[in-house]
Amino acid sequence: MTVKAMIDEWYPVGLLSQLDLKGRKTALMDEPIDVALDADGNARVTGGNGRTLPVRVRYGHVWASLGEPKKELFDIPEADQPGRRFVDVGVVRVRCSPLRAVENFLDIAHFPFVHTDILGAEPHTEVQNYKVEIREEEDEVWATQVKFYQPQAAKSASGGITTEYMYRVPAPTCSVLYKTCPPRPGEWDVITLFVQPLAEDLCDVWPWMALFDDESSMTDLIHFQQTIFLQDRSILENQIPRLLPLDPGMEIPTRADLTSVAYRRWLKRHNYTYGAQLVAQ
Amino acid sequence: MKLYDYILSPSCYKVRLMASLTGVKLDIRPVDFHPGTEHRSPELLALNPAGSIPILEDGDLVLTESSAMLAYLAAKAAPEWLAGSRPEEAARVQQWLSFSGRLTASLGGARLHEMLLRPGDIGALQTQGVAALRELEAGLFEQSMRGMRFLAAERPTIADIACFPYVALAPDGGVSLDPYPTIRLWSRAVRSLDQFLEMPGIHRLHELKPEPHVEGSEA
Amino acid sequence: MPVALSVDLPAGTVVPARLPAGSVALWRSASGRPAASADRCPHRGMRLSHGFVRGEALSCIYHGWSYGQAGHCLRIPAHPRLAPPETIRVTTHRVEESDGLIWIAVGNPLSQPPRLTGFAPLRSLTVLAGVAAIEAAAGAKASLEGLLELSEDARNICLLLSAQDDGETLAHVLIKGEAGPADRVAASRTAESLRRKAEGLQKKEITQ
Repeated sequence: MTVKAMIDEWYPVGLLSQLDLKGRKTALMDEPIDVALDADGNARVTGGNGRTLPVRVRYGHVWASLGEPKKELFDIPEADQPGRRFVDVGVVRVRCSPLRAVENFLDIAHFPFVHTDILGAEPHTEVQNYKVEIREEEDEVWATQVKFYQPQAAKSASGGITTEYMYRVPAPTCSVLYKTCPPRPGEWDVITLFVQPLAEDLCDVWPWMALFDDESSMTDLIHFQQTIFLQDRSILENQIPRLLPLDPGMEIPTRADLTSVAYRRWLKRHNYTYGAQLVAQ
Repeated sequence: MKLYDYILSPSCYKVRLMASLTGVKLDIRPVDFHPGTEHRSPELLALNPAGSIPILEDGDLVLTESSAMLAYLAAKAAPEWLAGSRPEEAARVQQWLSFSGRLTASLGGARLHEMLLRPGDIGALQTQGVAALRELEAGLFEQSMRGMRFLAAERPTIADIACFPYVALAPDGGVSLDPYPTIRLWSRAVRSLDQFLEMPGIHRLHELKPEPHVEGSEA
Repeated sequence: MPVALSVDLPAGTVVPARLPAGSVALWRSASGRPAASADRCPHRGMRLSHGFVRGEALSCIYHGWSYGQAGHCLRIPAHPRLAPPETIRVTTHRVEESDGLIWIAVGNPLSQPPRLTGFAPLRSLTVLAGVAAIEAAAGAKASLEGLLELSEDARNICLLLSAQDDGETLAHVLIKGEAGPADRVAASRTAESLRRKAEGLQKKEITQ
């Protein structure tokens, strides 16, 4: 485990809409932190030794870093696009590695078995070839042309369709998913997974969405996403080992897992190993 | 019949499950319990001053206790889910309906703490949860000796539906179900019922469907 | 090691079991054959005891990879036309079933599991206490094979104990011959009382 390389990254630590003066005690990579509003109404995050941490407020969430971020918080251009509805899904705690939570989000092959009759269903289990790359300029992992048959792809979908996905990993514990938007062909719905690493084997997950959907109520949208994520939670808490194995040999990837292969390679390259297991045990 | 519902609430799930098993159509009104705490909004407090969900509304009948909702659905649509005329059976249904409150307090409390960060003494909640699971395991074992697969009879009753959700979701609160073979058999029997409905955290029994056939093979 | 009662593993199901080496997925195929494999799918590490049994194969709940009784991977649903390579397999353990109990071989035992002469298994209990505390609670010593005969008024009951790696003990309650339902219920309650006593003794020992 190395904290070092990941310490300068940005992490979600709370929902802006739920902050108050009293504050919220939480943790970031084993360090207790406090997230609160100050007298001027600005978000303030305090580290374990009382120091004030760098803060950003974006995508409905408060972001903080324990170190000195060398990069600005990653951009999601769709967050400023008119006509989208922004959905704060709320926090869910999971007893798993933050990296395992992200990797599961990048996976489509589990849809028929874990999100049965919503995001997938037998016999439509085949994963077609798709494209994966590490984009050097942005330093992000991208998977594109990911296609999967889905019985109910979104709250706004009725009946089965083949959905197209694009995945993006802009930070070690964050992923952005672009997905065919049933009511608006040509546009992409944006669904994100922001993961706050509390410890190497414990995380708070903050899903967030920017959707084109004028029909569904906000509560329906929240419940749809909570349903999906809670179906994953019981998987994530039962993977052995808890930490994500970065060395080959411990787990067996196939062609369907190329996004995960690239993600693991990218983590290793940057020494993003908080929540990872390096030596096969 | 209108159900004020939260998709992740095991108590709301009891009512959805019972409605599905008995063929009752519910008008679902989703409540933003988390993160919105809508159950404590003026509109919902006016219906249920206790600030809990589920709430079941049918004409001027407003129910706020899930066990009462199960009894109401069964009485209306499928009386075979209620206790029969045998005094022991009637007593066992009541016994386990009351017991289900302990499951909510212990396993439900642990789940809210571990999953949605609600306050609570997690160690105490888990210990109480284990004690409740042991009682249920022993009770189900004794029923099996009487030739009965379910809590009060050979057939499932509202008592089984009242107990099933918090038990099946115990691992969400960090309480393992591994040590309870009889609970496992019972849980499987409940999940195999016709028109059984899942909720997040309770996966489909994929074995109930045959393996899809694939043509051709590449090496 | 006795890990489960035969009745607790119906055809077409999988349950978790514990060995000193770790957790095991114990399953019975549709045709009734018991098998045991490591409780970890080699694909993504998911516990196979959370999976499902179809026909003669055990499948992982995460991605549906299925394994035969000998541990080789039979099917990868994400690539339905691919024959999984021979190298993908889960470790398996030898399983024996006799007198209503399922045994998993630890290491390479030369003999068959011991017979339960005159006794039949009733139910399995996990005790949060070691064998010593259970012996103290029962006022009797367990045999080398882990058989503990209860004294006094519970002479028709016997416990088959196996120590777990975390200080817990798996106890299979055995009952003599032709017991009726009332005797069986009584025996179950006796075993519960003994567990309470043993766990009380264990706690006392820890706090002292």
